[in-house]
Amino acid sequence: MNLISIIQLIPAHFGRTAVIAHHTFTQLVRMKVFYFLAFFAVILIASNFFNLPQHEGPESVGTHVLSKIKEWSLAAMTLFSLVISIVATSLLLPKDVEDRTLYTILAKPVPRIDYLAGKLLGVLLLVFVSLAIMDVLMVGVLQLRTNIVLEEQTALALKRGWPAQDIVVLKAEILGHGPTYSLQGAVIAVFLRAAVIASLALLLSTFSTSTLFTTIVSFLIFFMGHFQADAREMYLGGEMGTSNSWIAQMLSLLVALILPDFQLFNIIDEVIQGRIMPLWVLGKLTLLGLFYFIFYLFASWFIFAEKEF
Amino acid sequence: MTETVPAVEICHLVKDFKTSFKRLPLRAVDDVSIRIMPGEVYGLIGPNGSGKSTTMKALLGLVAPTAGQCSIFGKDSLQVDSRDEVGFLPENPYFYKHLSGEETLGFYGKLCGIRGAKLKSRVEELLELVDLTDARNRRIGGYSKGMLQRIGLAQALIQEPRLVILDEPTAGVDPLGSRQIRDLIFKLKERGITVFLCSHLLEQVQEVCDHVGIIFRGKMVKEGKLDDLIAIEDQTELVLKDASPELIAEIEALIKRTGGVELVRKGKPRTTLERLFLRETSKEEKTH
Ligand SMILES: Nc1ncnc2c1ncn2[C@@H]1O[C@H](COP(=O)(O)OP(=O)(O)O)[C@@H](O)[C@H]1O
Ligand SMILES: [Mg+2]
Repeated sequence: MNLISIIQLIPAHFGRTAVIAHHTFTQLVRMKVFYFLAFFAVILIASNFFNLPQHEGPESVGTHVLSKIKEWSLAAMTLFSLVISIVATSLLLPKDVEDRTLYTILAKPVPRIDYLAGKLLGVLLLVFVSLAIMDVLMVGVLQLRTNIVLEEQTALALKRGWPAQDIVVLKAEILGHGPTYSLQGAVIAVFLRAAVIASLALLLSTFSTSTLFTTIVSFLIFFMGHFQADAREMYLGGEMGTSNSWIAQMLSLLVALILPDFQLFNIIDEVIQGRIMPLWVLGKLTLLGLFYFIFYLFASWFIFAEKEF
Repeated sequence: MTETVPAVEICHLVKDFKTSFKRLPLRAVDDVSIRIMPGEVYGLIGPNGSGKSTTMKALLGLVAPTAGQCSIFGKDSLQVDSRDEVGFLPENPYFYKHLSGEETLGFYGKLCGIRGAKLKSRVEELLELVDLTDARNRRIGGYSKGMLQRIGLAQALIQEPRLVILDEPTAGVDPLGSRQIRDLIFKLKERGITVFLCSHLLEQVQEVCDHVGIIFRGKMVKEGKLDDLIAIEDQTELVLKDASPELIAEIEALIKRTGGVELVRKGKPRTTLERLFLRETSKEEKTH
């Protein structure tokens, strides 16, 4: 019955969710969250200048610097998106309850799912905008640097009298380390991972009694997510044939359902090394992100709908 | 007249809260029934912790009843659409500090589905009504208690609800501010809006409400029309202006002569300290 009413009222739901998301975004912006972007710019510039190519062998120099820029940038993106997703999400809900602003919102004709979805989307909007700005900065610096490296290396190769086709290969290799589509895919992957962890933090904050607990557990789950698949393999056994295998498999499935598997996101590191990210991997990551996002959101709703204030 | 749907219908509401320490749940509201017809101003009075706020929250669907049910204009409180026609001012309201007064009203208006020019004019009108036009662009974080209460009232009225629920609307507000709020409640009454308020300040309830309920330890102890409840049936009051001492002596003599009548009290009616305060401060204001 609830589901039917939701489907019928989808436009109204969107409207209210958008209002709350927009408000959450404004709230975070006015909390001066964007100041960290200045910090990011400093990191980026530092990564550009620290690795001046004196002490390396001349051939590997160029691509090495480019990798470093990407590594630093993506590490900073991961850190910021993670911190904002977790801290903002676990802060906002308890704050509304404590300040009783939640009463005034739920006393309006606002279904609780709209409120939750709005909060979550507001945080994700902020993460998205920040990542987009950081991405533009990164691509800009990387483009500049790639051009410099390209010039230097070509000049060097010409001086050494390399054959033309070798120079073409060299150029292609350097460009592969510059701003590629795969790099954009990696940034999207960072966003998707932040989306998963934000919705997990939302779920935790619907039943946890302290912001600190939510924050710590979210970070723990994030780190666990990177070796969750290995752990499942090791303790519950991926192999068939043992007597308790179906129990183990159910358990393994359950763990995968509740704890997100972040191993797929390791592709980000490979992209930094200059590997290409196939489109199907991005598609798979998107589906995975979407699955956990929806699963956690509805689980949060399930708990939040019963809550009393 | 045909039978109209009550604005508020609370039927045998019981609400228990789980307490982590004791096995025994805490019964905050115990078998309370209230019916408020459209256009009435109903005051729920009782000391702190007697279950007033819990009753209101159950009516708004913020807590689920342990037993019994609540409805607003015939719609069950547990359904979201029951909140279409109700505005709520919570106890000690607190809004998003980072928004200005105007933005706050805009936010709540949009939540109710009001947009564009209609929202703009509505916000304008409400800022005017609660006398916050000058403070519209200031952040709520810097509002005084009285201003918060008034912006809260404006927020409750944003979608032109037919019912307004006010939880301790004048608690913690100075007499002038509390006067403003009372005047606003009178204005709502004139417009035919149903008001359900609760307070532990009896005088104020007496001034604005036409129906009252007394709740104590979760139980409704007395309910009815205010005039009926507080009238002392076997007494009559006579207040004279500029009466000469001779006239008074004559009246007293008349009373003595008539059998079966007793003069209970004689003296000058007192103004309340509150009225005195308001009169003197308004005089001050005029001379300046
Ligand atoms: N969420 C809650 N959890 C546990 N007990 C509560 C909760 N809300 C209210 N109570 C208890 O219910 C009783 C009635 O509270 P309340 O309705 O706020 O009283 P009032 O508004 O009349 O001052 C109080 O004893 C209070 O401690
Ligand atoms: Mg109360």
